[in-house]
Amino acid sequence: MDVAQALVMAMQTWGMIGAVVALVFLVIGIDRIDEDARGAYIFRPLLIPGVLLIWPLVLWRWWQIETERAAWAARYRPVRASYGLAVVLMSVGIVVIVITGLSVRQTWPADIAPVQLTEGAGQ
Amino acid sequence: MSVKYIPVQWNPNKWLYDIVMLAAVAAFLWVFLYVTPEVLSHERAINPQIHNARAFGACAFMMLTVILCIGPAARLDKRFLPLLYNRRHFGVMTTFVAITHSGYILNWYFNFSSSDKYVGLLYANSSFGQIAGFPFEIFGIFALVCLMILAATSHDFWLKFLTPPIWKRLHYLIYAAYFSVAAHVSLGILQDQQNHVFTVMFMAGAAAVIVLHIAAWMADRAEAAAKDGAWAEVARVGDFREGYAKIAKLASGDRVAVYLMEGKLSAISNACAHQNGPLGEGKIIDCLVTCPWHGFQYDVRSGRSPAPFTEKVPTYRVRVMGDMVEVHPDANPPGTYVEPVPLPEPEPELPEEGVTT
Amino acid sequence: MSDKPFFVGYLPAPGPLRTFLLTICILLIAGLGGAGFLMGAAQDDPGPGAFRFDYGRQTVTGVVEMTPYPVIHVVEGNDRIKPGDSFMMTAGGKAGVDGRAMPLNGQLAQVSGVVLERGDLYMMQVRGGQNGLQAAEGDAPQITPEPQGRWQLTGEICDGKCLAGAMRPGRGLAHKACANLCLLGDVPPIFVSTQPVMGEEFLLVIGPDGTRLPREAYDYVAQFITAEGEITKHGDLLIWEIDIDTIALADEGTE
Repeated sequence: MDVAQALVMAMQTWGMIGAVVALVFLVIGIDRIDEDARGAYIFRPLLIPGVLLIWPLVLWRWWQIETERAAWAARYRPVRASYGLAVVLMSVGIVVIVITGLSVRQTWPADIAPVQLTEGAGQ
Repeated sequence: MSVKYIPVQWNPNKWLYDIVMLAAVAAFLWVFLYVTPEVLSHERAINPQIHNARAFGACAFMMLTVILCIGPAARLDKRFLPLLYNRRHFGVMTTFVAITHSGYILNWYFNFSSSDKYVGLLYANSSFGQIAGFPFEIFGIFALVCLMILAATSHDFWLKFLTPPIWKRLHYLIYAAYFSVAAHVSLGILQDQQNHVFTVMFMAGAAAVIVLHIAAWMADRAEAAAKDGAWAEVARVGDFREGYAKIAKLASGDRVAVYLMEGKLSAISNACAHQNGPLGEGKIIDCLVTCPWHGFQYDVRSGRSPAPFTEKVPTYRVRVMGDMVEVHPDANPPGTYVEPVPLPEPEPELPEEGVTT
Repeated sequence: MSDKPFFVGYLPAPGPLRTFLLTICILLIAGLGGAGFLMGAAQDDPGPGAFRFDYGRQTVTGVVEMTPYPVIHVVEGNDRIKPGDSFMMTAGGKAGVDGRAMPLNGQLAQVSGVVLERGDLYMMQVRGGQNGLQAAEGDAPQITPEPQGRWQLTGEICDGKCLAGAMRPGRGLAHKACANLCLLGDVPPIFVSTQPVMGEEFLLVIGPDGTRLPREAYDYVAQFITAEGEITKHGDLLIWEIDIDTIALADEGTE
C-alpha cells in the first residue's frame, strides 16, 4: 500500500513539475530555440502533454540548443543500427512471453475429489 | 514542411487516410460492441463495462498490429509507402482507444473500493513472484505510458526540437510497448479464455509483426558497406538514370544518395531532415529531390529546401574514376553547395547490335 | 529504380497505385470489422451469477454471527428466504459490513437488501446504514457450529461478491486484482470446490483460528489449488478454515 501510494504521489509530482516546465518552455523557451515557433501559438497547447511526460528531456534539449553543444552531424545520423536490436529483442520477448503464458494456463481439476482426512466431533 | 507551426497540416490525402482509418476502427468497435452481444447466447450477459473494456483493448491491439506492419511492409514493397505517410494520426487514435480501455478497467475493477483507484491498481495484486496470477496490469500501464509519449511527441515540432535521431530512438518505445501489450494479453485474458479464437488471432497478429520486421531487417543488412576512409564506390556510370539516385553505404553506417539530374551527379545525405526518410529512394520532381515518406524537397546540389522552407541536409563530394562513380565519406555541413559532376557517356563496351536482330 | 508510381503525400496518388491503395483500404475496414466480430463472439460465458433485482428488496430477521465474516442465520424469513437459511452479507461496492455487524454479534437483527445468487451461492448486499442492518426485538437462538472434520479440497479461492454475480465474469486470473481488492475490503472469500463437499460446491473460506483469510493466501486467489483444513457447519453454511501451509497448486499437488 505504501509503495503504491508513493508511486502515485511520484507520478503526481512528475506531472506538476512537468506543468511548470511546460508553462516556462511554451511561453519563453520555445521562441528562443525555434524560429518556426515564433508567432505560432495555436499549436502550442498540443505540446503540453508531451512536456508533461518527458520534461527532463525537454530541459536537456533546451539547454543543449541554448549552449550550442550538439554537433551538427548528429542530427543527420539515422538510427537504423539499433533497429535490428529493437526488432530482435521485441520478437524474442513476444515469443517467450506468449509461450510462457500459454504454458502456465490452468485446467480446472474437475476429477480431483474432496478427501475427508479426519472425522468431525459430531459424527 | 516547416515555416510556421500549425496544429495539423491537412491535405486531401490526410483526410482520406483518416476517414479510412476511422471507418476501420468504427467497424471493429461497432461490431464488437453492438453486434456480438446478439450472437453470444449466454444465460446472463457479460457486464457492459467488461464488454466495452474488452472491445477497446482488442481494438487497440489490432490497431497497434496494423501500425507496426506498415513500416516493414513499406520497406519491403514501396507500394505500401502511402500508408506510412500519415501513420502518426493512426498512432494517436490508437492511444485514445487504449486510454478508453484503461478507463473502463479502472472505473470498473478498481472502483467502488475505499482506496483510491490508482493506488488500488498498483496495490491490489502484488503476486510478482509468480507467472500465473502475475499482476499483468503493470504491462498494460507500461504500454499505455509508451503510447502516450509517442502520441504526445508526434507533432513535427518534436522532431525538429529533439532532432530526428533522438526522436526516432524515443519512438523505438513502440517495440517495447508492443512486447508489453503481448505480455499483458498473455498473462491476462489468455489465462482464462476457454474459446481459443481470440488466442489464435492474437498470435497471428503478433507473428505478422515479427515476421515482417525480421524480413525488413534482413533486407537492410544485406546491403554491403564501403571500406573505411577511402572514397566509397556508388555504382557504375551506366547504372544511373536521369532523376533517380543510387545509394551508397559508408563505413560509418551513413548512407549517401547520389542523384543524376540533367546529366550531372550530385550527392546528398540519404537521411531526410524531417524524419530521416530515405531520400535516395525518392525521385527528382521539378528539379528537386522529393522524399518518398512525406514529400520534403531539397535542391540536390546544395541540400537545401526551396524557400520559404529552411530544411537542410549534408552534401558530399562526388568523382568519377573510370567507369565507377565514387563519393567521399566526409559529409559537408548541411546546405553546402557542391558543383555537380558531369556524368561521362557510358563506354560502349557492350555492343548494341547483338541485342537487336 | 524503376518506373513504379511514386507517391508524394500532398499530391494526388498516381493512377496504378490507386487501385492498390483502394484494395488495401477495403481490406483494412473489412478486416477490422471481421476481427471485431470474431473476437467479440469468442468471449466465454461468464456464468449464471447475478444481482437479483427482479426478486425485489428482501427483508428478513436472523441471528448475526461473525465467523469472522458476518453471516446471518434466518429466524424469520419471507416467501423466498426460509428460516434456517444462512447467508453472507456485504455492503455496496468492494466492502463488507463488519463495522455494522460486529456490535450485533450473537443478537437478533433485521437485514434488508438485494440478493446476489449463483446456484447455491447466496449473498445479500445490504442497504446502507440502519436500514440495511439493525437490531431486532426477540430472543436470539444459540448457533452451535458443528465440526465436520479435516478435509483436503481442490478448487479456487474467489471473492464471494463478484463470483455471486456482482461482476460477470467475476473469477479467474484476469479478475485477480479485482478479487484481491474486494477481499481487502472485507468481502467474504468463497472457495469453489471441484466437486461438492457434503452437498455444497461453495464454502466460506477463513484463516486459522477464526481469523480472516490472511494476506499470504492472496497469492493463490484465482489459482487452482489443493489445501487442507477443518470444515465446520454454521447453520446451513459450510466454513473451511484453510491451513495456509498446506496450499499447493492443484497440478503440482497431483504429480
